Amino acid sequence: MAESICRALRDGALEGELAPALTIKDSVASPFALQVFSHVLSQLFSSILAGKSQSRGLVVVSFSRSPSFYLDLLKNKGTDIASSNNQIQILDCYSDPLGWKDQLAGSRNFTALSNEVLVSSTAIVFREVKHMDKLYNSIIELGKGLVGGGKIRFSIAIDSVDEMLRHAPVSSVARFLSNLRSHDQISSIFWLLHSDLHEARVTAVLEYLSSIVASLEPSHQLANGQRGDLENFSLIKHNSKKGKFHVRFKKRNGRVRVMSEEVHIELSGINFTSLPSEGAINQGLVPKVQFSLQLSEKERIDKANVVLPFEHQGNGKPIQIYDGRRSLVDGKHERPFAAVENVQTNENCGSGEIIYYRDSDDEMPDSDEDPDDDLDI
Amino acid sequence: MVMEDAEAPHHMLLLRNFMAQGLVLGQPLLYSSPARDPRGFLGTLPSPAASKDDKSRERDPDQEKGLRIAWQYKKYLGESQLDGQRDSKHEYSNEFDLRKPLERHFINGPRIDCVSIQDCPDLSTLRDRCATFLSQFPRNDGSISCAGRIAIQSFCAPQCAYSNMEWDMLSFIRYLKSMVRSSNSVAIITFPPLLSPSFCKRWQHMADTLLSVKAIQDEDKELAQLLTGYQDMVGFLNVHKVARINTQVPVILEATTFSIKLQKRRYLVLECLNQAPVDGSSGTSYGTSGGWSSSSKTGNLDF
Repeated sequence: MAESICRALRDGALEGELAPALTIKDSVASPFALQVFSHVLSQLFSSILAGKSQSRGLVVVSFSRSPSFYLDLLKNKGTDIASSNNQIQILDCYSDPLGWKDQLAGSRNFTALSNEVLVSSTAIVFREVKHMDKLYNSIIELGKGLVGGGKIRFSIAIDSVDEMLRHAPVSSVARFLSNLRSHDQISSIFWLLHSDLHEARVTAVLEYLSSIVASLEPSHQLANGQRGDLENFSLIKHNSKKGKFHVRFKKRNGRVRVMSEEVHIELSGINFTSLPSEGAINQGLVPKVQFSLQLSEKERIDKANVVLPFEHQGNGKPIQIYDGRRSLVDGKHERPFAAVENVQTNENCGSGEIIYYRDSDDEMPDSDEDPDDDLDI
Repeated sequence: MVMEDAEAPHHMLLLRNFMAQGLVLGQPLLYSSPARDPRGFLGTLPSPAASKDDKSRERDPDQEKGLRIAWQYKKYLGESQLDGQRDSKHEYSNEFDLRKPLERHFINGPRIDCVSIQDCPDLSTLRDRCATFLSQFPRNDGSISCAGRIAIQSFCAPQCAYSNMEWDMLSFIRYLKSMVRSSNSVAIITFPPLLSPSFCKRWQHMADTLLSVKAIQDEDKELAQLLTGYQDMVGFLNVHKVARINTQVPVILEATTFSIKLQKRRYLVLECLNQAPVDGSSGTSYGTSGGWSSSSKTGNLDF
C-alpha cells in the first residue's frame, strides 16, 4: 500500500487535473514521517531515473535538513548522484532561510562565513522563505531548468511544511501549494507534516489540499497519564520500532479509499507489511480468562473437517435424530469448542468430530424430547 | 449553502447543474471561485440531457412506416413534428448529461461574469461585483422574466487571503443574502469544512436552504450490505434546511439523506435513502447531526 502511494505519485497528473499531492503526517507518539518521506523520495527518484514515471525530474525543497542529507540518502540507496545531476535539484532553505548569513557577510565585508561544503551544482541556496511567491518562482525555475519547458513534468518534495508555516501564514502556504498543484508542469508533489506542531485547523487545511493523506499512528495506544507505568513501558518500546500506517486516497470518482499497513523501522530502512488480523496483534494484550478463546491450528483443521448435519443428509445413510438423552463419547478426548455452540449432534465421519459432554449423567434428559427433524447424527 | 466534504468534490456536481440550468434558460450568471481562471470551469458544464420528447421524435420515421394501413393518421404525425421543431425554447429540466459539454454559444455569451477570489486581500471586490450583477434584476418592476444566478464556490478556501477574516466573511454572506432577497435572483455558496465550529454554526444559520455532501468510502463492506446500489453511489447528500420564505408552514421532507449516483457516468441522480428513527432531542449542529461518520471503524450509521 505504500506501493500504491508511490504508484500514484509515479503516474502523476492527467491533463487538466490538479497534480496528486501527498501529506505524510505523524505525531510524537509515532514519529516516523521522515523515514516514510525518505522512502517515498527514494522510490520516486528511482522510477524517475528508470524512466518509469511521468515526471522527469525531482525538486527537493529542504527546510529541516541539509541538502547533503538527501544526497547521502540517495547514494545509500544505490542511485548514482553524480550522473543524475540533471534529474534532481535541491532548493536549500536550510542553510540560510532568512538571509542572515548573507547580511552578516555583506555588512562586515567578510567573505561568506559558510562552512558548509558546497554540494556541487545540485543545491541552490534560497534566502527568502518569508516570500511564498519568490519561493514558488524559484521552484518553478529550478524545475524548468531540469526538464525544460513545454509539457515535460517534474515532481516536488517538501521537507517540511512545518518550517514553511513558521515563516508564512497558513493562507499563503495554502495558496503556494494549490498553485503548485495547478501548474501544468508539475507531475506530483508530497510533503511532510508533524501534526503536533500545529492547530487542528492547519492540519485540516493541509489535508484539504492533498489528494492522499498518509498518517502514522502508534501500534498501541498508551493510556493517558500513565507514562511511567511498567505496563506502558513495553508498549512505548513497541511503539518506537513499529507503527500503523493509514492512508486515505481521494479517488477521481469522489470515493475515498482507506488502507492500512504496519510499518517497521529497522537500521536498513523502513518496512511495510500488511496489517495482521486483530486477534494476533492483541494477543499480548487480551485479558487472561479461564477459558481459551483462540483455536490452535489442529483444532482449526478439525473444525473445518466436521461435516455438518445438512451436509451429509441424503447420502443414503440412515438418519438418526439425537433425542437429547444420551451423551455419546467417541474418539479422542478433545477440548470442547467454546466458539461452537452446543450442537447436539455427534458426527462420526472419521475426520472431524463434535463431542458433546453432558455435565452429568444424572441430569434430567434435555427438555426438548421432541427435537428438530434435521437434528440428526 | 452547501457544506463541502474535504475528501470529495461532489459540491461541484451540484454547482455544474445549477450553472448549466441557468445558462440554458438564458439567466445571467455570476461565478466566483478560488481558481486563478474561473472561466476554465465553464468548459466542464454539462449539456441538457436529451429529453424524452426528442427521442419520440426520432422514432417517427419508423412509426410512419407502421402507419401504412392507417395512412389517415400520417397527417397528424407530421403536424406534431413541425410543432416540436418550431419550439426551440428549452424546457425547464434538471437532467444534464455530464459527458456532453454545454454548447459554446451558451458560455460565450455576455451574460456570464467570473471572479477569482484567490488574490483578493478582502471581500470588497467580490461584494462590488455582486452588487453590480444584482442591480440588473430589481424586484420592484413586477416582471420576473429575468432572474440571475450567483454561484460562489469554496468561499472560505484556505488559499484565499481573507480566509481567516471570519467576521468579514459572515458579514459578506449577510450582505449577499439581503441583496438577493431584494432582487430576482438566487445564490449558491459552497464552503469547505475548515471553519471554526462557532462560525460554522453561524454560517449554517445564515442559510435559507442548507445542504451538505459527504464522501463515501470505497469497498466498505458494511455499507455494501446496508445499502442497495452501493456500487453506483459516489456520495451522500443531506438536506438540513429548506427555505421557507413568507410562510410559516414548515416543510417536512420524506427523506433528508440522498445518495448521489452517476448513472452511466452521465446523469446525476439523487435517490432517497430510508431514514432510521432520529432522536429529536439531540440538538447538535447541522454538520454533525445524524452521527454519520465516513470512517468505517465506527460504522455509526444514523440517517
